[in-house]
Amino acid sequence: MAGASGSPDNAPVAVARQFGEQVPHSRDLGMRVVAVEADQVRMRLAPQLWLLADDDAEEICTSVLYSLADSAAGLAVFAASGELTPIATLDLRMDYLRPAASDRALLAQARCLHLTDDVAFVHCDVLSEGREQPVATGKATFMRNTRGKRFQAAGEGDNSA
Amino acid sequence: MSGTTPGQSMPLEYGTDTNTRAAWRTLLARIPYARHLGLEIGQHRTGIELHLPYREALIGNIMLPALHGGVLGALIEITARVAAQSQDAAGRRPRILDCDIDYLRSARAQSTFASAEIVRQGRRTSLVQVTCRQVGTRAPIARGRVQLLFGAPVDNQEIDNDA
Repeated sequence: MAGASGSPDNAPVAVARQFGEQVPHSRDLGMRVVAVEADQVRMRLAPQLWLLADDDAEEICTSVLYSLADSAAGLAVFAASGELTPIATLDLRMDYLRPAASDRALLAQARCLHLTDDVAFVHCDVLSEGREQPVATGKATFMRNTRGKRFQAAGEGDNSA
Repeated sequence: MSGTTPGQSMPLEYGTDTNTRAAWRTLLARIPYARHLGLEIGQHRTGIELHLPYREALIGNIMLPALHGGVLGALIEITARVAAQSQDAAGRRPRILDCDIDYLRSARAQSTFASAEIVRQGRRTSLVQVTCRQVGTRAPIARGRVQLLFGAPVDNQEIDNDA
């Protein structure tokens, strides 16, 4: 893929981390970028009492999983394309397979399945940390190169091919 | 709020009923994440709706700026849940099975309103269509479809025993 054109190996992680974690909503919920490899991104979200689905339930609100998946999926597009041009979510569908335990962090694993000049298709699983089976799975479609300024990332070299 | 929100969608017919408003408020108040987001009960000409007041912490794209897609996801899911639960005779808390959202236009950095239409309310499931609007834009900014399941309460044992 074109993304690896001569930049240091850890540059995508640094750029994704700096970019992904400076988004106000992601920062508000406490999302962290754990890993970026080729077309994949892993993010983590620590549990908090205010993320719960109900005062009587020991379950994280599905909407928190939705936000985490949307964020990870968007970063997977950047990871796959190797550039931080603006994108927009066209649609995102989540299936909530089982409740997410309130005492475990959430891990999102997003992978860009296919990239064209105009669109990106992404798949994302959300897991409770320490568990094998995903608690949710989602599919997103993004529009690429939408209007708006190019995102600025500190230390991002000009590595256009 | 201003009365400019167009009533093109089919809001809940019982929406202006004061009992319904009270029920929505009670249901909303018990959701920690809804409290964190600052969701409120709103009212437009033809029905009840949820209001998400703007805050900087809701931004997902700092360049445009635009609200985070997940913020609209929460607004849609929580509106669907409150609508479905308020319609259940036993007041059972439904479990959200899936949620499918189409983003129709950029969500600007301002207040957002969501109205629900119950497509089908069954004994075990509810299908709710939610439409999100912002003042100044006639067309919806996002539309979501949420499938919910009523059943025996999900016990936490199931979570712990999950292999």
